[in-house]
Amino acid sequence: MQTVSLKNIYLSLLLALILQLAPWQGFGLLIRPDFILLAVLYWLMRAPHLCNIGTAWLAGLIVDLISGGLFGQNALAYALTAFFAVSYQRRLALFNIWQQAAYVFVLLIFNQCVLMVLKLFAGEDVPQWTYFLPSVSGTLLWQLVIFSRIGTEPASSKN
Amino acid sequence: MPRVLEPQQTPSFFVRGPSPFTRLMFFSALSIALVATDARLHYLDEVRQGFIALTHPLQTIANAPSALLAKSAAYITTHTALVNTNLLLMQQAMSHAKDLQKLRLLESENRHLRDLLGASQSITEPARLGEILHAGRDPFSHKIMVNIGARQNIMPGQVVVDGKGVIGQVTRIYPFSSEVTLITDKELSVPVQIERNGLRAIAFGIGIDNSIDLPYLPVNVDIEIGDRLITSGIDGIYPAGLAVAEVISIDRHPEQSFAQIRAKPVAGVKNHRQVLLISIPVTGAAIGHIVNNTAKYADKTLKLQPALPKIPVQPAPSTPHANRQP
Repeated sequence: MQTVSLKNIYLSLLLALILQLAPWQGFGLLIRPDFILLAVLYWLMRAPHLCNIGTAWLAGLIVDLISGGLFGQNALAYALTAFFAVSYQRRLALFNIWQQAAYVFVLLIFNQCVLMVLKLFAGEDVPQWTYFLPSVSGTLLWQLVIFSRIGTEPASSKN
Repeated sequence: MPRVLEPQQTPSFFVRGPSPFTRLMFFSALSIALVATDARLHYLDEVRQGFIALTHPLQTIANAPSALLAKSAAYITTHTALVNTNLLLMQQAMSHAKDLQKLRLLESENRHLRDLLGASQSITEPARLGEILHAGRDPFSHKIMVNIGARQNIMPGQVVVDGKGVIGQVTRIYPFSSEVTLITDKELSVPVQIERNGLRAIAFGIGIDNSIDLPYLPVNVDIEIGDRLITSGIDGIYPAGLAVAEVISIDRHPEQSFAQIRAKPVAGVKNHRQVLLISIPVTGAAIGHIVNNTAKYADKTLKLQPALPKIPVQPAPSTPHANRQP
């Protein structure tokens, strides 16, 4: 496996942050995938020695800051999701691409559920079913990235 | 011994730090502490403001592609489209000018009558033009971000309107931008008055399908579909007479004590990019209200009062009225 540098991780997280900050509107906002969580999940599975629950928590905190919600909501959801991602990380090597996608989908849904429960505690209403669309689009984006083999080319050519 | 229970664990000479579960517990505790601190103690507002100021360049980068697209789209408009818009605007200006003349007369008459009555003068509030940056990032709340903030003397509590009516209220300010909660948001309520008969009520956002609710009105209340709701101005923050919404449905069940009334906001948030932020009227009542509501902003508000920007913007209250004059 290609060694992953810390610089790559933080650059990709920064890129995800910029994508998240882009002025999404209307339908785009409805289906906007959670770029930051996807990036974090990718690195959690690829390089858990560099990107761990702490990184996920920090990313969640930044999401909290830019979204203007209560501090720590996204951070908690991200940390929980990251925990499940990390604890099954070694089994992922046995999964094929589609099983991995399903796993990512489950993680994304889990993250949104945690977030929803936290928001319900804070006194918000139950959202409509479209609330879960970002998980679907997020999984699609994941598959797209995996199929386009971004960042995996040098690794395969080296091996 | 944990080693016996989990024989597949990595031997400890691989440095992996604390176990995932330990980390999870640590960070969960930390986030719950943060949630509690933010929700109850409000210590973290400065942190948030500082961070938003830090991310401002990132935000600019993120906005760049769509801003460029919008600019180029505006550049490549056809001649006919421009001529048509110009014509439309000219016609609008003409009809507004007529109403405006009438308004001057009414204003002087009103002032005279108020003098006779010894009533306090109504004040025209200065306002600032802002541009909508983007919609809020939280699907649970109805919020927008506007491109002017604390640096432009924007204060929390200011009313935001567009050409047709009230959009919402500034709820949080950052150095270069401010967050506006829309009137359809669950947490915002607007004191309103029915234009037809002057009945006062409070309109609450529902949070779903872009409508607002008028609770706590008796079943036999005198209200009809199509009634226009305007701000009553009784709170000292919203200037009186701004259009808010139009009643779209009334449900009167005799067995219930209150009628269920839905109204649709007249202002279109999605249609415009420009909004007007009206300054809070400088009266004792208004300041008292702010002090009661958000005590921590009170000293800031009082300090800022003399430095209010005196921008000669046509006060928006007249606009919705002028539109509807026959």
